Amino acid sequence: MTRADWVLLVAVIGSLPLLYTHFWSDEGVARHLQVQIGNRPARIIALDQDRELTLDGPLGTSRVEIRDGRARFVNSPCPGKNCIQAGWLTGAGELAACLPNRISIQLLGMHPRFDAINF
Amino acid sequence: MLLAGCSQPPDPGQHRQFFALGTLIDITFYGIDSSTAEQAGTELEQLFLRMHADWHAWQPGILQETNHRLATQDEFSADPTLLPLLEAANRLSRLSNELFNPVIGKLIALWGFHSDERPAGPPPDKAAIRELVQQHPSVTDITLDNGRIRSSNPAVSYDLGAVAKGYAIDRGIERLRAHGIDNAIINAGGDLRAIGRHGDRPWRIGIRDPRGPGVLAAIELGDDESVLTSGDYERFFVYKGKRYHHIIDPRSGYPADSATSVTVIHTDATTADAAATALFVAGPKQWYAIARRMGIHYVMLIDRNGTIYMNPAMRQRIHFETEPADIHLSKPL
Repeated sequence: MTRADWVLLVAVIGSLPLLYTHFWSDEGVARHLQVQIGNRPARIIALDQDRELTLDGPLGTSRVEIRDGRARFVNSPCPGKNCIQAGWLTGAGELAACLPNRISIQLLGMHPRFDAINF
Repeated sequence: MLLAGCSQPPDPGQHRQFFALGTLIDITFYGIDSSTAEQAGTELEQLFLRMHADWHAWQPGILQETNHRLATQDEFSADPTLLPLLEAANRLSRLSNELFNPVIGKLIALWGFHSDERPAGPPPDKAAIRELVQQHPSVTDITLDNGRIRSSNPAVSYDLGAVAKGYAIDRGIERLRAHGIDNAIINAGGDLRAIGRHGDRPWRIGIRDPRGPGVLAAIELGDDESVLTSGDYERFFVYKGKRYHHIIDPRSGYPADSATSVTVIHTDATTADAAATALFVAGPKQWYAIARRMGIHYVMLIDRNGTIYMNPAMRQRIHFETEPADIHLSKPL
């Protein structure tokens, strides 16, 4: 092996941890959606299939779209529409709630980047 | 097997959510069995729902009854469940130079924030605001002695919105510890207290960006720390293109307008909650002096131009997603 081969070999081996983190790490990847309606027991739904959820709260029906492993509120009977403005939830741990209709959705994964979000 | 493991849903027993105190309460457990989590979660849900009913500022309950009796200026026995919260609120108000003022309930009602969703419409009449400010409701108008309470100012009306969530979180943590739970987070609509650790690492908290989607910064918490943020984006209404939010400066009677968010880290959530409000009202010029008075050691304030102010100890702990160009560092707290 030439000197250049050695340099290349060291560079490749050295970059493996980075490549692993980048391509195979599960950090932040969401696999499931936790749906909370009022104070009833939460439902957990897999994100592997695109679908639309119809969720009935005290104000009426909220609709949640699941697509490409993400989730968002698309419709809700609340006056402020903050839940819809929250947009797509993409990473594990992210959460959107419609407080007036008492519905929340949160992405779950084995390794969320954060244990809780402060705001 | 490993791949199959990845698609298993996370253990729902380690997570409990319910609605109370006008927000979503989210409890995260670590390393306990599902039945202990279930039992503790159910007890906390009942505790929070009771506090929600008792302390509600605009629905019949213990707090409303207390306000009616305070308005008569007669002495009476304070409700024993409410008394420690009133004492904490009064003490923190004095410490904050009354920038956190828990007895401006009439002003907050005048602004329309005594409703779940403020109805659309103009801000209140200037003269009505001025009149309430001139009556200067203050905790110094209240005598609290041996469980007996009276007010010498008829304008005094408790609104515990800036301290009740923190206080409730603290009571919740006490209850978890009574269950032998040493590793958990109670997150009440973004205000949280964490005890213990997440296994072999500290709890990791994301601080949401006050002016956009996503996370502004990350922070790791030591055993038993609270993180509370007061922001102008939490409750507000827009009238003729101008935003009016719910954090009212008791000196002017108008929404405090120099900060957009203040984040405080402190041991107990009650102090952190009141401090976040007081420092928000204090703004970039006065936050340092008030933080010192209140014994707060970690503060980050973002003003309306997006400029970040913090003390050096906070700077060492916080990890920004995108490093800000300019941070105004104060002297150590």
